[in-house]
Amino acid sequence: MLKDLKIQSTSYLIKQLPTLTVFVDTDFNIIHASDNWLFTFGEKSTSTIGDSLFSVFSELNSKWKKVLMGCFEGKCSPIGIQKYTDISNQVKWYKWSNTCWYDENENIIGAIIQMNDVTDAVENERELRKTKVQLKQHSEISKTGRWEYDIEKDEITWCDTTKAIHEVPSSFVPRLDTSIQFYKEGYSRNAISMAVFEGQEKGRAWSLKLQIITATGKEKWVLATGKPYYEKGKLIGFTGTFQDIDEQVLANNEIKKSEKLLRTLIDNLPLNVYVKDINSKKILVNKAECIYLGAKNESELIGKDNFDIYDIETAKKFTEQDMKVMSDLVPILGEEMVSIDKKGVETTFLTSKIPLLDERGRANGLIGISVDITSIKQKEKELRNLIDVTSLQNKKIINFAHIVSHNLRSHSANFSMLLDFLRHENDEDEKQKILGMLNNASGNLLETIENLNEVLAINTNINVEKKVINLFEKLKSVEKNLANVIFENQAQIESDFHLDQTIKTVPAYLESILMNFITNGIKYKHPERKPVISLSLEKGKLVSILTIKDNGLGIDLMKYGNKLFGMYKTFHAHENARGMGLYITKNQVEAMGGKIEVESNVGVGTTFKIFFNEEI
Amino acid sequence: MRKFKFISIIDDDPITIFGIKKLLSCVVDCDSIEAYKDGKIAFDTFRKKFEHDEDIPEVIFLDINMPIMDGWQFLEEFIKLPIKKRIRINIVTSSIDPFDKEKWSYFKDSTHHVITYNNKPINREEIAEMTKEA
Repeated sequence: MLKDLKIQSTSYLIKQLPTLTVFVDTDFNIIHASDNWLFTFGEKSTSTIGDSLFSVFSELNSKWKKVLMGCFEGKCSPIGIQKYTDISNQVKWYKWSNTCWYDENENIIGAIIQMNDVTDAVENERELRKTKVQLKQHSEISKTGRWEYDIEKDEITWCDTTKAIHEVPSSFVPRLDTSIQFYKEGYSRNAISMAVFEGQEKGRAWSLKLQIITATGKEKWVLATGKPYYEKGKLIGFTGTFQDIDEQVLANNEIKKSEKLLRTLIDNLPLNVYVKDINSKKILVNKAECIYLGAKNESELIGKDNFDIYDIETAKKFTEQDMKVMSDLVPILGEEMVSIDKKGVETTFLTSKIPLLDERGRANGLIGISVDITSIKQKEKELRNLIDVTSLQNKKIINFAHIVSHNLRSHSANFSMLLDFLRHENDEDEKQKILGMLNNASGNLLETIENLNEVLAINTNINVEKKVINLFEKLKSVEKNLANVIFENQAQIESDFHLDQTIKTVPAYLESILMNFITNGIKYKHPERKPVISLSLEKGKLVSILTIKDNGLGIDLMKYGNKLFGMYKTFHAHENARGMGLYITKNQVEAMGGKIEVESNVGVGTTFKIFFNEEI
Repeated sequence: MRKFKFISIIDDDPITIFGIKKLLSCVVDCDSIEAYKDGKIAFDTFRKKFEHDEDIPEVIFLDINMPIMDGWQFLEEFIKLPIKKRIRINIVTSSIDPFDKEKWSYFKDSTHHVITYNNKPINREEIAEMTKEA
């Protein structure tokens, strides 16, 4: 009874235990349990006192059974943690501890098991382990190690990665001084020594890209960082990272090297090279382009578009082109383009524009390459001019050769014909007549030869020395020479020349020009009106234009235009031979680098425009 | 001696005109020999005569290089006149330019008139040839 009471009171005591406690007998049956225990585990299994422990913990493994059995024999082995899934399917972790259960006679009658909910701890630990693994992984992948230095203990610790970077075995024990010895002598070692010193003295953190020499003698770039840490305001040590950045630095150096190579290359190309973005703004320009655009350096041009550089029309044209290249993805290759800058300077380029594609194959800019061919174009133009001049000269020479041959032939034909007549002529009067004609013919021949000589002299530029001539005075003197003709024909000569009007020309040629055109105007006067010849001058810097207008018969230029100056190849000394005069005039004007233009209306009059080259 | 009513010479050189006239006088009997100093005067005269149904020359001596309207331009206009009668046109020139010969062959083939090409100087035999019936 008393014993029962005792048991009962014991049982009652156990019931009230705040911990999760259970008493099992050697058959693993539950004898006592705290209410807490029953509340926690009983609910799910509806087990209660007297049931087997295994009915509550069905998943308890044989190892557990062994441990408890050991306990029944008096050997209390340490126990681990047991997983338990509660009624709401939540996983909980319990740390089991057990001890032998003795009766009053010190006989083992079972085991007392206490369970502690260690779910939080287990989860924390798991989290920590995961973090550690991750950290290790991260440290290995990024080749970033850690280190710590305890000032008081003068102890430095390296993590495995740090050791691996130094290529030392994991058993290596670093010291502060040996740590510093790893840095390459010179800049790297000095820099780290200084950083550590300043860290100690001023609490300054550091982050330095330095070189170390590893235990195996390899040079490596590392990023070493350090940060002091404090306890209650007192510096107690440093902690930091140690990262192997050798590959990055080397790769970076490689990139820099190729960039430099590329830059040197594009800067020294005798071509203008630039890169533009999608908005046609420059993002790269080489030296040649800088020089061409008059910029001191690249930065002056970066971000500028065509409108910042060129005249509005050129800019519009170029921008349209840029956009087309980028939208059609069709490059422009070696196309000739003329650009006019803001100052109006014209440049001819041979330009290529190549679209720059992004990884999706769309254009995000373009590369432009152009060669300034202005001087080549200029040379080409000069060459073409030269060819034109040469072929014109050639034509003139052939023309002249024909004139010479024709003239000489026509005279010699006349001679031979007249001589033949003379031989067969018996009539004395007729003989005299033929002799007179022979005389004429010989005179004509002489004059022809003189004329031909004159044309030759003009074309070989003999006596071509230009002078500044007073046009007004020259006209007056020509009028004086022609006074008779003017008077007989009641001609009127008008001019708008100023008293000091000058023109740069060959004096003799100017005289011949004025003489010829005035005479011409009078000779071909209209039968119904008095001849009026008006002269005017349009003075220019490069070219001055002398206009001589008459109110004569006029010429049907469509029909006879080509005969006006060169057409009439025979030079005779008759009254109507005007071929020679105009032919010589034309040669004179051309020899001075000028030209003659004619406008004429039949019945109204003729206007000659004589262009004087004032430059050469 | 062949009898002609009307022969004309178109040339701006008086010596040539004199020569042709003199040579003609030895080989033909002609009522009227007229000379014109350029193609335009000659053409205008012939056209007027043709329009008024007057005699036009049966033989024409034609120079090439003349002022105003040269021998070629004269030919171009002349062959356009609807003259039924075959006219003999003798080109008499001192030109040896092959280009002129080409032009001659072009005109020769584009008209029913007889066109001959002769280099100066011409002699009696040639003149006789040039006054044969066209």
